[in-house]
Amino acid sequence: MSTTGDSAPQISGTAESAKECADWQALLERIPYAQHLGLEVQRGDAGVLVHLPCREALIGNFMLPALHGGVLGALIELTARVAAQSQDAETRCPRILDSHINYLRSAKARSTFARADIIRQGRRTSLVQVTCWQGDDKKPIATGQVQLLLPTMAAQQEDRHGH
Amino acid sequence: MNDLNKLQHSDAVTTAWQFTEQVPHGRDLGMQVVSVDQGQVCMRLTPQSWMFAHKDTKEICTSVLYSLADSAGGLAVFAGALELMPIATLDLRMDYLRPAIGDRALSAVATCRHLSDDVAFIHCDILSEGNRELLATANATFMRNTQGQQLHAGGRGKESA
Repeated sequence: MSTTGDSAPQISGTAESAKECADWQALLERIPYAQHLGLEVQRGDAGVLVHLPCREALIGNFMLPALHGGVLGALIELTARVAAQSQDAETRCPRILDSHINYLRSAKARSTFARADIIRQGRRTSLVQVTCWQGDDKKPIATGQVQLLLPTMAAQQEDRHGH
Repeated sequence: MNDLNKLQHSDAVTTAWQFTEQVPHGRDLGMQVVSVDQGQVCMRLTPQSWMFAHKDTKEICTSVLYSLADSAGGLAVFAGALELMPIATLDLRMDYLRPAIGDRALSAVATCRHLSDDVAFIHCDILSEGNRELLATANATFMRNTQGQQLHAGGRGKESA
């Protein structure tokens, strides 16, 4: 994962990126739907990636065949969520407010990867840009922007009492 | 709707309806087409615990609503156009107004707002069945007549690859 701006942290060492991968993986494992889709964290050249292995249940058009647009939607939303949560000092569980996804190229029935860039991590909200590609990371198949709300302490406590 | 109702539709709508019900991802999520009228489509989905967003709450993952909106939106293009041609989602914007709690079926109503030769503009509302409060709204733009492509891919066709 990377951030935009002057303070963009560089992946300085193997240990650091290994820890980031483990953090992302732990967050993904707490999301039942992410587990159903088969999302897994991988270490890429430029930081942490989320990998979506292809399988039949993800197909949206069996004649082409192509992945369902909603599967890419899920890859983008869940990658954004994990990126925002791992970036938060208190690892608060964010709520997705909205997402806007542009489909750029056909999504073939093959492995897909996603990378997150935090556009802004605020006190209450986080805006994350996610890019998806298949064979060539220079040829994105979809990009999306996801706006997330980070719950305040009061809302979190209320939530805890509620369950 | 039963088979008798389906017969009243044009062949294009019937084919698109059948196609939508055979989409592997739609079947995996258990999406059902409830009705197809002129320019409007209703679909439903019964939540399962593996669709949840957290291990310890019953909130449905927003991405499940996204998939439902994309599928209903694609079918709404055919319901508006009444002719069979390959289409592709250009973009889709979701607003998640309220958390969707997994004890009720989701209902999606997609409407074809405007149709040109090249493009279809779709609006979709997602509600909890038996409840008039909106859970989410979607606005999507679909490209029509994408070459080298069959029906709805839920993504772009090969012309842009």
